Amino acid sequence: MISTSTKLFKSAVVAAVASVTLAMTGVAHGEEWPSDNIRLVVPYSAGGTTDLLSRKVADLLQKELTTVVVENRPGAGSTVATAQLARGGRGSDHMLVMASPGHTIGASIYPNLRYDPVEDFVFIRNVIDIPNVMVVPASSPYNSVEEFVAAAREGQLSFSSPGIGSSIHMSGELFKNLTQTNLIHVPFRGSGEALPALLAGDVDVAFENMPTVYPHIQSGKLKALAVTTAERSEFLPEVPALQEVGAEFGLGDYVTSAWFGLIAHKSFPEEAQAKLGAALEKIVESKNFKSFLPQFGAVAGKEVGDEFRAFVADELEKWAEVAEQANLKR
Amino acid sequence: MENFSEVMSLFLSVDNFIAIAVGVLIGVVVGAIPGLTATMAVALALPFTFSLEPVTAILLLVGIYKGGMYGGSITAILIRTPGSPASACTLLDGYPMAQQGKAKKALKTALYSSVVADVISNVALIFFAAYLAKIALNFGPPEYFWLICFSLTIIVSVSGSSVVKGLIAAFLGIIVSTIGLDAVYGTQRLTFDNYNLMDRVSFIPLLIGLFAIPEVIDFYTSKVAPHIRTAVTGASLTWQEFKASLKTIIRGSVIGVIIGAIPGTGATSAAFISYSEAKRTSPRKDNFGKGEVEGVAAAEAGNNGVAGATLIPLLSLGIPGDVITAIILGAFMIHGLTPGPVLFQENLTLVYALFCGILVSSVVLLVVGNAAIKYFSLIADIPKTILLPIVLMFCIYGAYAVNNSTFDIGLMLAFGILGFVFNRTGIAAAPFLIGFILGPMFEDNLRRTILISKGDPSVFFRGPITWVFVLLTVASLAFAVRRYWVTRN
Repeated sequence: MISTSTKLFKSAVVAAVASVTLAMTGVAHGEEWPSDNIRLVVPYSAGGTTDLLSRKVADLLQKELTTVVVENRPGAGSTVATAQLARGGRGSDHMLVMASPGHTIGASIYPNLRYDPVEDFVFIRNVIDIPNVMVVPASSPYNSVEEFVAAAREGQLSFSSPGIGSSIHMSGELFKNLTQTNLIHVPFRGSGEALPALLAGDVDVAFENMPTVYPHIQSGKLKALAVTTAERSEFLPEVPALQEVGAEFGLGDYVTSAWFGLIAHKSFPEEAQAKLGAALEKIVESKNFKSFLPQFGAVAGKEVGDEFRAFVADELEKWAEVAEQANLKR
Repeated sequence: MENFSEVMSLFLSVDNFIAIAVGVLIGVVVGAIPGLTATMAVALALPFTFSLEPVTAILLLVGIYKGGMYGGSITAILIRTPGSPASACTLLDGYPMAQQGKAKKALKTALYSSVVADVISNVALIFFAAYLAKIALNFGPPEYFWLICFSLTIIVSVSGSSVVKGLIAAFLGIIVSTIGLDAVYGTQRLTFDNYNLMDRVSFIPLLIGLFAIPEVIDFYTSKVAPHIRTAVTGASLTWQEFKASLKTIIRGSVIGVIIGAIPGTGATSAAFISYSEAKRTSPRKDNFGKGEVEGVAAAEAGNNGVAGATLIPLLSLGIPGDVITAIILGAFMIHGLTPGPVLFQENLTLVYALFCGILVSSVVLLVVGNAAIKYFSLIADIPKTILLPIVLMFCIYGAYAVNNSTFDIGLMLAFGILGFVFNRTGIAAAPFLIGFILGPMFEDNLRRTILISKGDPSVFFRGPITWVFVLLTVASLAFAVRRYWVTRN
């Protein structure tokens, strides 16, 4: 029989030894940036679009600068990771977050945000832009935005999204507000669940990301009524932009897209901003990156630095209003 | 014939075989470590596949997926710590077997059932993809709703000695699953304004806490030193036993295939449904939960049956059924391929080369799995005074690693205490887990159904699939009631 105290003692020794073995050793700090590995924090789970794109960017970035470690820190619509970045502290000069519409939508929905989504950060660059597409099932009687809006004003139609607060959900809410229709929101968990319901005609419309619906538009299972960007997409040149065809229904200023850009803590050194900016510029222009984008129906993001900041501020204003009207503000 | 040689030239490269072997190996090891899931491994491996040939890249990821699905069972059996959610069901009988000194038999049962299920799942993928994809597309919210209703009836069969206690556990599981933002209106439920709870309670910390931690607490609070050594000696699985379980394995595989083909249901549910069916039809019902070979076989057949089948909606429709297939979809896209009908038209050779690789992966799983049993069995020889602190550390690390969140460590420990209380009061933890997994699916699909029909209840009975599951639900409940009656009298 072993006494409990002997058990505890032995265990404590083992735990201590094992912890020391597992402990990470720090990296010596040099002078020039980057003097350490860069941490790229993805505010969503591994495997999502943001994660996938971040890993590609990280892969290219480490060829230009130094080792880039991708970390997933999901939670509360990306606001957990962003709050962590905003807190700053040790290592924040080598920490980046891949911001996306969640940055502004999350800030509009979640309560007691402990940071200012614009003022507390340095905006490096918008790297990738993916348009959303307004799609209806092949069996749908509506063949244009005009027909759709007319029907939605008469009766009650529904739109699907991969979840509350996603850019796809908010695109629908914005459409609903501007056209003054009474669309019902049917939330799913992820596009993998939302898509079958759309294909089968259980919901009437969706404002899905281009890469999710593109193959189904090609195979004729979905009809694209419009794209949500200001201009037509090169991937669906025959499909109009909502702004073009929707001006008379209040959609003249309608623009949404899924954007992905790098942000850092507000104390991020200027030297680092310059170096990182230059590296990203090189990446965005590279052949590798340019051949990667079409797979996601994406284009390279344009906004750099303050321009990117202004873009985010605009987005924030837009989504705050939509969240308010849709009664989403918690 | 020309096509055949094209397929072979694409498939028969050393790289592909290495990719499969490395993938399965990574999967088994990662799957066996609590908290490190196959999902994380696939996501981490993705950047390494950028420079590979498309077939090689996909096979590497599929290998990890399949290996992970099996690997989770090793630690579930040996130390009652499911390496992955899907293997939570395996420990119901696997761990008792290990305690009875039959760890080797349990591990072999898990491996052989996994491999058989994997083969069946692959065959279904290759020959029935188009047909199963059609069923998957007919699964709208009302169909899901009834499928979940049917799945909820399995609570009865995993409740252990008392159905009432099982229902209490399931109910608690459902309550815990409601924590977070409501899916339709975004209302906060039981979050206490805590950010860490807004995206619901994390699954992995709950799983580890519920099953592994009570073992650790038990060890330190028991006065008597446990004399049980879960050494992987003892008899292996005999051919007779395997043959006796074969029916269960095949049934479990078919259940896995069907569940796998329907996006968003998942391997964990498949394992539990398969387990419940095996128990219902077994002449040794009472031995389930106490170390029944068929219990392990059913659980592993169920979850591995899912692995090949989730590729059905992915390849034929371009719809990922779970997170791993979503990452694999990403890998396809990075290589300029678009899964869906177009893939079959434009890249048929590639699709067939993939199929060849996927079939080979089953054989690799058998080989790697056998080797893994040999090495992982060393775990079982470690005295508990040394093993348990290491397990505890892995539990803490595993809970943290999922979301890189220290909050989740606290959550894991809290569920550990709950699991301990369950153990002491004779409440089974499995119904709690099922309630936690299925509760939100039940609610979401109920609400979605009402939303899409704009309140018209007739949509709940809109077609043959809904009726099939209505009947299955009623039959399953009737069976449970009858059994309760018979045992009472």
